[in-house]
Formats: sequence, structure tokens, C-alpha cells
Amino acid sequence: MMNYIASILVGAWSLVKGLRVTIGNMCRRAVTVQYPRQKLEMEERYRGLVDLRREDCIMCLQCAKTCPTGCLSITVKTGEDKKRVLETFTYNMEYCCFCGFCEQVCPKSAIRMSKIYEVTAYDRNRLKIDLLKEGKYDEWANPPTE
Amino acid sequence: MATLLDLIIMLVVGGIILGFIAGSAMFVIWLERKVSAHIQSRLGPMRVGWHGWLQSVADAIKLLLKEDIRPKGVDTWVWWAAPFFATVPSVMAFICIPFGKPFEIRGLQIPVIAPDGLRIPMIVSDLNVGILYILSVTSVCVLGIFMAGWGSNNKYSLLGGFRSGAQIVSYEVPLVLSVITVVMYVGSLSMQTIVEAQGDWYGLKWFVLRPNLALAFIVYLIAATAETNRTPFDIPEAESELVAGFHTEYSGMKFAMFFVAEYTNVFIVSAVAATLFLGGWQGPPIFQFILGYDLPFMPVFWFLLKVYFVIFLLMWFRWTFPRVRVDQLTGFAWKVLTPVSFANLAFTGWWLLR
Repeated sequence: MMNYIASILVGAWSLVKGLRVTIGNMCRRAVTVQYPRQKLEMEERYRGLVDLRREDCIMCLQCAKTCPTGCLSITVKTGEDKKRVLETFTYNMEYCCFCGFCEQVCPKSAIRMSKIYEVTAYDRNRLKIDLLKEGKYDEWANPPTE
Repeated sequence: MATLLDLIIMLVVGGIILGFIAGSAMFVIWLERKVSAHIQSRLGPMRVGWHGWLQSVADAIKLLLKEDIRPKGVDTWVWWAAPFFATVPSVMAFICIPFGKPFEIRGLQIPVIAPDGLRIPMIVSDLNVGILYILSVTSVCVLGIFMAGWGSNNKYSLLGGFRSGAQIVSYEVPLVLSVITVVMYVGSLSMQTIVEAQGDWYGLKWFVLRPNLALAFIVYLIAATAETNRTPFDIPEAESELVAGFHTEYSGMKFAMFFVAEYTNVFIVSAVAATLFLGGWQGPPIFQFILGYDLPFMPVFWFLLKVYFVIFLLMWFRWTFPRVRVDQLTGFAWKVLTPVSFANLAFTGWWLLR
């Protein structure tokens, strides 16, 4: 009989403890944001879409070799003054797993992960990004609101 | 002439009640969404109007425009009538809810309606069996749920209906027993008399402040949570087990009627709790001190404040406690709540006769 009453009292006290937790949460500030209107700033080490600084690239092709999904394809041509020149540097974002190996392996830190996290598109062809193009991520960072 | 006048008064009062129910249900739905969101550290509806206060209106318009889908093999009449059986009793229960202190306007003399001053009772009809009427009418709601479960031709709906029946039969007992303790104190079933018995002494005569009636209040609150099918006792519509329980097969306006009935029931059980235990429309007479007379709408304000406080309590429970199993649910009602309320009843009887 005493055990029965004690179990009821313990149960009731545990309910009160639960209620205290939820009312504490209610008085706290909300942690979510109004997403399309408000956007969070990503952390310093966030791994978003891959970005390239063309002038630093020495065309060692390490990034393309180390990429586990093979989403980087680079072609190099030899110019008239016997210098190697980047011809294409295509990033097929569809396959990218955002592992960051390309960033780690690059000797000149030319290729790096940006903070862009909105990676959806209506057209599949848009997912093939030419990293040599100027302003390639202008649309991506602020996608047009439909 | 008098019959026509009665008819007009009836229509006006009915309109006011229906308008109040619709507005109140929408407000409570919005409040529920906001409270749940803030308990989970979210923001909840924010787009439609200031902090999303028009969200319920938008939802109501959406439900009005939706197709009314009739599944194959439904028991036509039972399926069709179920939302009405769920909604109408909860609307009927509003007749006996005292919203405020009755007041008279002495100077106003209208020839036929009020030859010597207009008296506004602030309750549709102060029946001398008020609380009994509310309890008996609201227990008809389960019939609607049961009809919905039976008529839908869906095993999940049927299970939800069965569970609802078992639950409401179990929890009606402690609910009524805890109400009886209050009635024993007052000696009347009329709602206005119960409120007036808690007057004076600046709120110290509220029944919730007496130890045995405080216990009755706790029992009432638990049983009322079960009566309105809310978490932790929401097994008739347990989402993880029964899809949506008894209203799985309903869409559009029929679903909206179940929704309105649910939130109207929440308002009614909170209003009964406020009337029986929290002093009804009694409140600190602030304007008595400032102006020398109390304003007629202040009792309404105190009443609604208490009702929404109890509604908030129910929401707080909903977003804190996990759902109980069916056997735990009925076991709790019969093994804990019923003995406790019987013991409380016996103690109250001894106390009053001592």
C-alpha cells in the first residue's frame, strides 16, 4: 500500500519536473529564424559549394584526382609561349559530397569551400558550374524568390 | 407579438453565441500553435498578420474551399451526421456558462422588451440543473466520435472510436465525482449560484483554495484533459498508431467541424473549471477602488482570463507529457482517480456533516 502511494507521488513529481522544463523553454528566445526572409550566417569552417581563385591555381590537378566522386573536371592547354593555361574547370555539383578533400589537398589554397548552402536548382544543367566564369555564384547566394 | 420578440431575442443570442464560439475556437487554435512553437523554441505562424494572428482565418478559408471526399463503402448517414453530433452538443453546453455578473440598466426603458429597466443576465439560461446539463450534454460528443469511427469504413477510425468510448466512460466517473464535491458545498446545481457562493473575501473563498476541493480540481483537470481527447490522453487520434483516428476519412468542412468541436470542448471544460473552482467571474474589484463603482464588463474580463489560464494549462500539459497506453489510461482512471475522488467525496461529506 505504501509503495503504491509512493509510486503515485514520485510519478506526480516527475510530471512537475517535466512541466518546469517546458515552461523554461517557453520563456527562452526562439532558436529558429524566418528562413527565406532571414538567413543565418554560416560558420568559418562551413563546407558549402566549391569555389576557385583562378590566379592562384597552378594546374596540378590534385583536386580532381583526390575527389572521391569525380565531380571536378579540368582541362589544361599549352599556350603559344609554352605556358600551361587553364581551359576548363567544371564543377559538377550534382555529384559533390562536400567532403572538402579538394580544399585540403590544394597546395596554393586556390580551391576552397564557400559558405553557400542553397544548392537547389530547377534545371539539372545549372548544377554543372563553370568555375572559371566571373560571378558564377551571384545567383546562387541570393536565389530569386518565386 | 411576444412570441415574435422571443424569436428575435433567441436569434440574436444564438448569433452572439455562435460568433463567440467560432472566434474563440480560432483564437484557441492560434494560441495552441504559438504555445507549442515557443515550448519547442520555434516561432510558430508568423506570416499572416502580426505574429500570424490571422493564420486560423486563412486555414478556415482553405478548409472551406477543399473538396469533400466521400470514401467508398461508408455508412452514408452515420458518416454524414457524425460531425454534427460532435459539434452540436458542445455548442449546446454554452447555454449554461455564466460569462459575467448579471447587471441592470435602470434608466433604459424600452416599451415592450423591458418596461422597467433592461436586465442582462450574462448567461443564456441559468437552469437550476446547470452543471448537470453541461455534463450530460457534453458526454453526447462521444457519440459523434463513435459514429465517425463506425461510419468511415476504416479500421483505424473504428479503433479510434472504440478507444474514445472506453476513455470517456472511464473518465466521466472521476469528473462527475469531483464536480459533486463542489455541488455538496454549494447545495445547488445552478452555475450562477455556484459562482456567487465563491464571492466576497477578495477571492479567498474560491473553492480551489480549500484543500479537499483543490484535490477535486486536480482530478477534474486530469479527467477533463481525457474528456477532450488531448495529449497525454489522445489515444483516439494517436497519430503514430491510428493515422488520425476517428477523423482520418474526413476532409474539408467536416474535418473543420471536428476541429471546432474539439476546441469548443476545451473552452467548455476550462469554463466549467473556472466557474466551479476558480471563482467564475469574481475578481479583484479594481475599478471599485479607482472610480467607486465596478464596470459591467470587468466580470467578463476576469472570467475569460481564468478560462484562458486553464486552456493554457491544458496546452502546457499537451506539449509536455508523452501519450499513455490504452491499458495505462483506463487503469489510471479506475485504480487512481476514481478511488481518490471517492475518498475525497467521503471526506467532504464527513466535513460538512461534522
